[in-house]
Amino acid sequence: MIKMINKYLGRGEFSITVPPMDGALMPNELLEETEKLLIVDAPDCLAIMNGVPVVSSRSRVLEVDTGGKEVARFDAEISCMTGLPNGGLAVGLSDGRITLVNGPDSGKIIKPIEGAKCPTAMHADSDNNLFVTHGSSTNNYNDWKKDLMEKNSSGSLWRVEMATGKQTKICGGLAFPYGIYYDGETFIVAESWRSQLLRIFLDASKPSEEVLGHLPGYVSRMAPAQKDGIWLTAFAPRSQLVEFVLREKRYRRLMMENIHPDFWLAPTLRSNKTHFESLQAGGVKVLGILKPWSPARSYGLVIRLDSNFQPVTSLHSRADGSRHGITSCIEHNGRLLMAVKGDGMVASYPVDRIEKR
Amino acid sequence: MAVILQMKSITKEYKGVPVLKNVDFDLEEKEIHALLGENGAGKSTLTKILAGAVTPTKGEIVLDGKPIKINHPTDGIAHGIAMVFQETSLVPSLTVAQNLFLGKEKFYNRLRTIYIAAQQFLQSLNFSVSPSVTVARLGAAQKQMVEIARAVYYNARIIIFDEPTAPLTPEEKHHFFALLKRLRKADVTTIFITHVLEEALQSADRITVLRDGEIVVTDAASNFTRDRIVQAMVGRPLGGELYDASSKGRKRRKAGRMVLSVQNLSMQNIVRNNSFSVFAGQITGIFGLVGSGRTETAKIIAGVVKRDLVHGGEVKLEGRSIRYRVPSPAVKDGIIYVTEDRKIEGFFETMSIAQNIYIGAITAGLTKSFIVNMSEMRKLAERWTETLNIKATDNNARVIELSGGNQQKVVIAKALAQRPKLIIFDEPTRGVDVGAIAEIHQIINKLADDGLPVVVISSYLPEILHLSDRILVSRQGRIVEEFNAAEATETKIMYAAVH
Repeated sequence: MIKMINKYLGRGEFSITVPPMDGALMPNELLEETEKLLIVDAPDCLAIMNGVPVVSSRSRVLEVDTGGKEVARFDAEISCMTGLPNGGLAVGLSDGRITLVNGPDSGKIIKPIEGAKCPTAMHADSDNNLFVTHGSSTNNYNDWKKDLMEKNSSGSLWRVEMATGKQTKICGGLAFPYGIYYDGETFIVAESWRSQLLRIFLDASKPSEEVLGHLPGYVSRMAPAQKDGIWLTAFAPRSQLVEFVLREKRYRRLMMENIHPDFWLAPTLRSNKTHFESLQAGGVKVLGILKPWSPARSYGLVIRLDSNFQPVTSLHSRADGSRHGITSCIEHNGRLLMAVKGDGMVASYPVDRIEKR
Repeated sequence: MAVILQMKSITKEYKGVPVLKNVDFDLEEKEIHALLGENGAGKSTLTKILAGAVTPTKGEIVLDGKPIKINHPTDGIAHGIAMVFQETSLVPSLTVAQNLFLGKEKFYNRLRTIYIAAQQFLQSLNFSVSPSVTVARLGAAQKQMVEIARAVYYNARIIIFDEPTAPLTPEEKHHFFALLKRLRKADVTTIFITHVLEEALQSADRITVLRDGEIVVTDAASNFTRDRIVQAMVGRPLGGELYDASSKGRKRRKAGRMVLSVQNLSMQNIVRNNSFSVFAGQITGIFGLVGSGRTETAKIIAGVVKRDLVHGGEVKLEGRSIRYRVPSPAVKDGIIYVTEDRKIEGFFETMSIAQNIYIGAITAGLTKSFIVNMSEMRKLAERWTETLNIKATDNNARVIELSGGNQQKVVIAKALAQRPKLIIFDEPTRGVDVGAIAEIHQIINKLADDGLPVVVISSYLPEILHLSDRILVSRQGRIVEEFNAAEATETKIMYAAVH
């Protein structure tokens, strides 16, 4: 009975709320100060290949520091990458294949199997294993918006033996796992649709546990920091309006059937591109100026976590900013490199300036 | 300039205790005169004598060279002297317009006519108050505006303002001082009592400082500095205790665990989708103009007012969702709200210090016995009066008899006796003298040092900058900006609050 009343009044577990961005996630404009290192179409995933930072852009792998020199090109879009201990690069494609580049196994292709066709992030260990998160079992990487609107939790974590191509499922039922980090004993997986970091044990008998939850954004890839801790990106902000839409089943169905995904009431990597987009709570533009605090569908956010996976500081590009939709970051030579997919650039910022904060 | 008013050898005694001792005070034509002094220095009594609200024990008042008798406020008004009191003297059940014209009604009053007249008059003063609203529904600042408007309406030659700016926002203060200058051009002389030294330094022509019922100094405002005023007020230099530059260099506390999380809180169009967190061991300062929803947000958290029934958002205390209909369960959960309006909501004025503190403990369910235990009450009062340095003859003194600073300390003692887990101070130093401000700031700092999550709501920017470890800026019902104490400046905060 109380549950029914709460549901009707939008209270308790049924209240439509979004965690505030404050404390360590206090908004700032640090991302606006970042250097535009490379202007490129839809940069998505960053990796270090043989000591050189590379970025994926659609179906190409480009070097970051040489003005975008092409390293490899594929017949499908790249959905994730990771550097291999042998100097090579493992590349996940949006059709589910995993290919190896620039190492002793260069050219090797690992074919997708059922339930593992949406690679989103990878980690390579020293035993020639790849650990791959697949965001969804029904949608491919570029259909992430649809996966969110369908409220799926069909993501999974897999072990791939690169020598044999054998794939073993470690954990399933994940809500779009989009990032992976190995802390030496367990895997930390960024679950986008639940806005949380999850600890997953290799021992399947142990249940996974939340290490950081209630984040105000949809989390994406992680990267180790030179000092203790990690970097975590969030590719879009959560908003009360989207949370509301996620509770309205019929509305979502009609929206998905009748409206182009670019104009859905859903998070996006870059909003305010056209006037066809729906208003977000309205009234946030005064005299033509977009308020930085206004609720937006896109945002730029990189979070520095300590060794206990608690936020320490963060870099922001607010509603009126120009570094939205950051899907990946990596620390290299004292710089934090960020793939700003929403605004088509690889940005760089000195790490020591962040650490001083 | 010519002296228009002199108060000669004014003495006022209550039951043989002198409050004013042979005070000689003069007022020049068309001047803005600031009266400063600690609470209990005799500023209010001196001005009340001038306005006729208090009769002096001895002394003489000379207006335009002729001795006059002022035994009643109507005598004061007849001589062109009006006073805007610290405590509002408006009739709550009447509208703003009715209050404005109270005592000056015609035989036949047409409401529409007086509303139009009141609207025009309020607009000419730049006061955004609707004349048709009943006074009971106005906030403290708006009540103050109506009081000021009424004094101006009386066409007084001398207007006395007793702490006029205390409930006003910076923007409203700006309007107020512009109004004083306009009044000067209209040949009106003004006296204003204030605790904000900058206001006196910036706006007054002359400053008089009172201490312990005596005038310490009267001089042109240009001859004063902050330090000189403070030294004259308290008889000692306060050094780095109060808002000075050295406090900017102090080490800011790091955030502890998250104690309170407010998510998308809504209450009509006063609080709109407000979200923020409060962390342990830190002072979270909230700045905003009146109407920005700061106080209302705090009151929702503490159960004093209710949020929207449908989709009102969520408040989580240590991860647990809370929603109070009355303050009592909030107090039991350790959420303590120290009100901005201590006289109305903070204490029972006719009760003693001990009783007021004991009531706090009773509310929190922390008393040992079912019935009132006098020895427990005495011990509790002794403990807190000593800890907070409350100055009174004894703990049986009625709170109304205390100075503003000590009254505020009693309110804080009552709050601390409730063993808070989260404490929210709303304008903690409003109407408090500089000496007590420093002590209250020390108390607030100590609470945060002891690991308590502390929220300080203030519309006085130097206070927010001085106290806070992190600063949240509220605008139109929501937090729109957060600053680190290290990077915050008055300009940045004010920009966020108004743009």
